[in-house]
Amino acid sequence: MSIVAGCDVGSLTSKAVILKNGRIIGSAILKSKPRPRDSADAAMAGALENAGLLQKEIVYCIGTGYGREKIGFIDEAVSEISCHGKGARWLLPTARTVIDIGGQDCKAMKIDPDGNIERFTTNDKCASGTGRFLEVMARVLGVSMDELGKLTAKATAPITLASTCTVWAQADIIKYLNSGVPIEDIGAGINAAMAARVAILVNSVKPEGDIFMTGGVAKNIGVVSTLEKLIGRRIKKARRADPQIAGAIGAALLSWEKVNGHKKAS
Amino acid sequence: MRPEIKEYNYDWLMGKTLSTAARIPAGTKKETELTYRYIPYFKGAAESFINAGQPGIRFLELLGKYYENLLTARDDGKIIAGTTFCSTPTILYAMDILPVTFEILTAIGCLVWKRGMFDYMDYCCEVGMPETSCSSQRGYLGALLAGLSEDVEFILCDTPGVCDTNANAFAFAAGYLDKPFYQLNYPSVIGDDRSQKYHVDDYREMVRFIEKQSGRKLDYGRLAEVLKEVDAQDAITADIEDMLMMVPTPIPPVFNLILYASRFCFAGHPEYTELLHVMRDSARQRIRDGIPGLSAGEEKLRIFLCYIDHYTVDMNFYDYLEERGIAHTGSILTRNFRDGNKYVEDMPSNAYAIDISSPEAMLDTVAQMNARLPMVRSIRGPYDRPGMWLEESLACARLYQADCIIYNGTPGCRNTWGMVKPFARDMEKHGFPTHIMYDDAFDDRVESWETTKERLDEFFHIRGLL
Repeated sequence: MSIVAGCDVGSLTSKAVILKNGRIIGSAILKSKPRPRDSADAAMAGALENAGLLQKEIVYCIGTGYGREKIGFIDEAVSEISCHGKGARWLLPTARTVIDIGGQDCKAMKIDPDGNIERFTTNDKCASGTGRFLEVMARVLGVSMDELGKLTAKATAPITLASTCTVWAQADIIKYLNSGVPIEDIGAGINAAMAARVAILVNSVKPEGDIFMTGGVAKNIGVVSTLEKLIGRRIKKARRADPQIAGAIGAALLSWEKVNGHKKAS
Repeated sequence: MRPEIKEYNYDWLMGKTLSTAARIPAGTKKETELTYRYIPYFKGAAESFINAGQPGIRFLELLGKYYENLLTARDDGKIIAGTTFCSTPTILYAMDILPVTFEILTAIGCLVWKRGMFDYMDYCCEVGMPETSCSSQRGYLGALLAGLSEDVEFILCDTPGVCDTNANAFAFAAGYLDKPFYQLNYPSVIGDDRSQKYHVDDYREMVRFIEKQSGRKLDYGRLAEVLKEVDAQDAITADIEDMLMMVPTPIPPVFNLILYASRFCFAGHPEYTELLHVMRDSARQRIRDGIPGLSAGEEKLRIFLCYIDHYTVDMNFYDYLEERGIAHTGSILTRNFRDGNKYVEDMPSNAYAIDISSPEAMLDTVAQMNARLPMVRSIRGPYDRPGMWLEESLACARLYQADCIIYNGTPGCRNTWGMVKPFARDMEKHGFPTHIMYDDAFDDRVESWETTKERLDEFFHIRGLL
């Protein structure tokens, strides 16, 4: 009855997941703080509170994300690509292609039936294919991330946005706002610009099997629906848990395998 | 690439679109309106060409026919070769080989296609080309790599140094498609005998390569015919360029695009000669009627494009020039450096001559012609003339009475981006206000046209030009 945990410290959000017998008994998503250690502590405290546990009850914990080396309470640090592969497989067992859009990077991966990475590729320049891009644009537009995703469905003539530079894209949006372009068309242009950049990555790994998306952007229906059109495939939705915590779930699953000798949690 | 795009042959799409557009003016008002309704995204570009009168319409016809020829090439026993704007297509036409000039076809696609060539450009990245490679090749090349255009038998291009990204893109294409390819190795100096001999030897080797790949011998009699056609084309082009010096000029901005797009795709082709006749006649008629080339009716400003134009999307750039009353006095792509041209008078040993007296002379002519193509000559800057881009741009700007210099290119263009700032600084020192456009001539997603336009307006306003 070992209780294990995973902690994913990303550039925008930090996530923690506590697993008991292959079931999530606690999780938390918090805005990342300037120091990764503080972010991890806060996320884990949230997950522990959610599960009604104490830190000492965690048998093994793996850290991941860009701040993983700075987490104080972990037993091991593992790359986020490996964790997202594992987490995606747990969230959708049929997934063979995983798209993870994080705060500061974007990855497309192909995984085997056990969730191990077979092939992956990441974005190569600028923030314009990342969650940070959407966050900046939503702020300029004065809408929440959730609202931004919904704008695509309401648009009639989406704008073409500069999508190779976040700063220029921001300047573009301000200009469009000032010239009276409807917010729906601007929002749809933002989501489309994001989707177009992600589509290149997805197609470059030659997607096979079910496609699954992890990370916070998986909750942006505008990006997801446009991406589906661009790649001509459905992107499956997670039902077991929030796709944003996929990395932390993967870290927790790896912890479980560590404790239980590679026996799968599910 | 979106799945629905993979359903259509790109050459067929473009050919049908362009030839349909060329037929619009022959229809009744009702037919015209109906056709425009069927091509909502191409309407703007089609109107721009049609509004340029017979030259624009003939250009659409020529392009439509060009794509049709590509589609029927195999049935007609012809061969298609991939090539570049760093190489003249004359020898290919002389051997009955259809040239596919990637950069020009990308530009045309950008003008016509709703989303520019974005999908095709992105496909190149999907299969392994870097996003930072030049967008001018990535457009049409995307269609070729995706198997959506007519296949090429072999590829001809230049070595790195002339146009680095061009050489890399073509090498990638040759590797990806498993096609034989030949890189012309341009000598590092221009004008000396040793370099000239090297260049001609390289050309002879290229001819051997083409003969081997095509199974056809180069008929020098046919090459002479093609060069005679080029001779006639150069003469008419020179007339048009002379008229470009007039203030106000009778040459509409879009003529510049037609001139060089045609030269890189159709040099030596008789139908291009006919198009040039129509262009010259139209310009002369404007002079007789006292009508300036700009539809605004007034020439407020003259600009010289020191590199290339802006192609994405919908003829926006050319329409902008028309609306603002800005005359386009040509770009570095327009000039051909033929002897006898006004602008080469002050640039001794820079011109080439056409000599068809012997096979050797003809090869020499083609080699000389090629050594004077814009990327080969002006932008590269041979070791014995390192300031050639600046010198030639200055000479042209003065001769054509430009009020300012505009740089437009692509972020993938290492050869110009690497030196555009000192170039602009020196241009300013010579008294020419110079604006660097930070967009991509072929990709609206680098900087949207709306922003590009705003920055141009700001430059013209702040510098007191408009």
